[in-house]
Amino acid sequence: MPEFKIQHLTKYTYPAPVRDSANQIILYPIQDDYQEVIKQEIHISGDPVIDTFIDYYGNKVGSFTYSEPHSTLLINSKILVQTKYRPLPGNDIFPAQQWQDLEKLRYMVPFIDFLRLEYFDGFDDLKALVEAEKSKDDTPYQAVLRFSRYVYDNFQYIKGVTSVETTMDEIWKLKAGVCQDFAHILTLMLRLVGIPARYVSGYICTHHSATMRGEGATHAWAEAYIPDYGWLGIDPTNNCIANEAHIRLAVGRNFSDCSPVKGVYKGASDHRLDVSVAVGYEDDTPSMHQPGEFIEAPEHKPMTTFPKNSYQRYMEMLQQQQQQQQ
Amino acid sequence: MQESAYFSQYNPIKGVWDEMYGENNIRDHYSKVIDYLSRESAEDLARKEELAKRLFMSQGITFTVYSSGEGIEKIFPFDIIPRIITVDEWAFVEKGIKQRLNALNLFLKDVYNNQFIVKDGIVPIDIIYSCPHFLREMYQLEVPYDIYVHIAGIDLIRDHDGTFYVLEDNLRTPSGVSYMLENREITKRLFPDLLPQCCVRSVTEYPNILYKNLLSLSPRQISNPTIVLLSPGIYNSAYFEHTTLARLMGVELVEGRDLVVKNQKVYMKTTVGLQQVDVIYRRVDDDYLDPLVFNPSSILGVAGIMGAYRTGNVAIVNAIGNGVADDKAVYAYVPEMIKYYLNEEPILKNVPTFQLSNIDERQYVFGNINKMVVKKTNGSGGYGMLMGHASTDEEIDDYKKEILKDPRNFIAQPTISLSAAPCYMQGGLHPRRIDLRPYALCGPEGIEIVPGGLTRVALKEGSLVVNSSQGGGSKDTWVLA
Repeated sequence: MPEFKIQHLTKYTYPAPVRDSANQIILYPIQDDYQEVIKQEIHISGDPVIDTFIDYYGNKVGSFTYSEPHSTLLINSKILVQTKYRPLPGNDIFPAQQWQDLEKLRYMVPFIDFLRLEYFDGFDDLKALVEAEKSKDDTPYQAVLRFSRYVYDNFQYIKGVTSVETTMDEIWKLKAGVCQDFAHILTLMLRLVGIPARYVSGYICTHHSATMRGEGATHAWAEAYIPDYGWLGIDPTNNCIANEAHIRLAVGRNFSDCSPVKGVYKGASDHRLDVSVAVGYEDDTPSMHQPGEFIEAPEHKPMTTFPKNSYQRYMEMLQQQQQQQQ
Repeated sequence: MQESAYFSQYNPIKGVWDEMYGENNIRDHYSKVIDYLSRESAEDLARKEELAKRLFMSQGITFTVYSSGEGIEKIFPFDIIPRIITVDEWAFVEKGIKQRLNALNLFLKDVYNNQFIVKDGIVPIDIIYSCPHFLREMYQLEVPYDIYVHIAGIDLIRDHDGTFYVLEDNLRTPSGVSYMLENREITKRLFPDLLPQCCVRSVTEYPNILYKNLLSLSPRQISNPTIVLLSPGIYNSAYFEHTTLARLMGVELVEGRDLVVKNQKVYMKTTVGLQQVDVIYRRVDDDYLDPLVFNPSSILGVAGIMGAYRTGNVAIVNAIGNGVADDKAVYAYVPEMIKYYLNEEPILKNVPTFQLSNIDERQYVFGNINKMVVKKTNGSGGYGMLMGHASTDEEIDDYKKEILKDPRNFIAQPTISLSAAPCYMQGGLHPRRIDLRPYALCGPEGIEIVPGGLTRVALKEGSLVVNSSQGGGSKDTWVLA
């Protein structure tokens, strides 16, 4: 049973002091049969009180405010977590039966949320592609593997070309992105053939010499619902099953349901965000990434950014104030 | 009764329920008013109409039309002839609205908790989960006294035989109540003796009842909780109403930037420091309320307010997430909700509603579009709707394209011929189409509806659109004792 020590640092640096910030963190690993949190400490600069609750998708969410003027905000999460290998789905049920079982989930909670499609310019292309890609006698499990392979082969892993606000249209045109884009496109492909799929955020903990995409920062992948098995983690960025080396923080429909850290503050609209994730192993082999070694994380920029120009800001306020009353 | 000059010139619209004129004569409840009017000279009435206009202007009783571009702030056109509702009609309407609101409140509680009604297949799950106002953030969140709809403005219309129908349930930020109050004040000045003579019930209790209800929601058991009215700001169409209600209740009028959240508590910035806020009567849409949780680009909201609401440190009126109950696709199921939750037959009727996401119903609607009104499920204010009988083929084709992009967002209803009431224009009385929006207040002690409401008038001849944003006006609404 692998045990991992994870240190996840998130640091916001502002050019001038900001105040009245309200923040939300989803940094608490999910606890279930395959993942146990032995210890977790979260320290936040300024020592604000963190209030936690369980959200609609069952994730533990923390929220805190920081009113005093501050020019940096550091969130330091240290986790000791133990995982267990989960056997993979068997192949002992007829494919037709499995697809029928999935059909029954269509109008059931919570699956209905994980089958909702979003429309974008390339929707019809993607639909045709998914139909062509899926082989007739595939089980859902085989379709999952095939689609993951497709995303892995046909999309380039390039950091910095996309952000959390990148739309499906842009990803589709670029045919490139980072883990969240890969996960986004895979969930959509799975939903198109009727496999409930959800977005997962977490950490990837690779062993020793092996390197995998998504290290050093928070990672994202997908989960597909397999009849008689449950949610199967699938990581299209590395084209592998997400098993005992993937630590799950949150699940949801999309990135914004799982966004690990987000906040709103009053003050300068510019800020710099640095994220570092360092993993140590049970035998104390240090990770390639040392604690505190930051990787600038341009893909996570959930802070509200208002137009800098005061005139535009005024016009935006005017526009918003004109919301229709019933 | 005395034959009046005004009455003899009055030409009721064929096939339309007329509030004043029935079976070749003036209905009893209008007779006193018509008697009174016939004693007034044409000059007197013209003078009264002029006085009403000046009073509205001098008191700044205005609203804003967004699309017109110029001037934008307008006085709300007011017709001096009151709309009169009998004792019996009111008793029926009051009973019907209370029943409907009870069911809608139970529905909101259910849909954000156990979802019995969905599991039993009464309301299709797809309609709930595809509604953009079904907020998963509200799931299992406890609201004080299980009240979600504290203020409702349910729109009623009357068909050709006088039957009342519910047109819309407005359960988010219903507006217009200030016009109900102001219209009465103006009438008191125009016809001071008429109100007591006709035994008209008073509406002035409205702000007191609302204040009492807001007070009862305070999470802190203190003698003087802080209540605020949160407005989007001075450019909002209903800003006049926000200021009026705040003044009448004696509560602070604030904007999002006046509030701040600290450790799950909401504070108001004052000249002597922060003051904790207990109850917020908000007139800001859900989506703009908290940039941390909802629309991140909102400048009107208060970051972190959802956390304060969730922990019960502040009460928010109306509750967040009510839009799932007044969605026009969900509206079709309200009669079923009444049967399901209350085991009662619905008192007020629903207008038949076609779901355009259903292919068969869509085909039918497209084939009969001349007899239909097509609306957006989440629209309000009469924006973005199509009146089939009054549209060109081109408009209809464009609208059909719009519908096909996302059919779930549209419903269609057969055109209902609204009832008509006499309006004073061009020196005489002319029938114009009207609706009725009574304001219901729901507090821990139950639902109270002040006897009255806002009667909106489609001032253009032949028009069926009463929305103030679409050139409608209003009348004082009298409920007789």
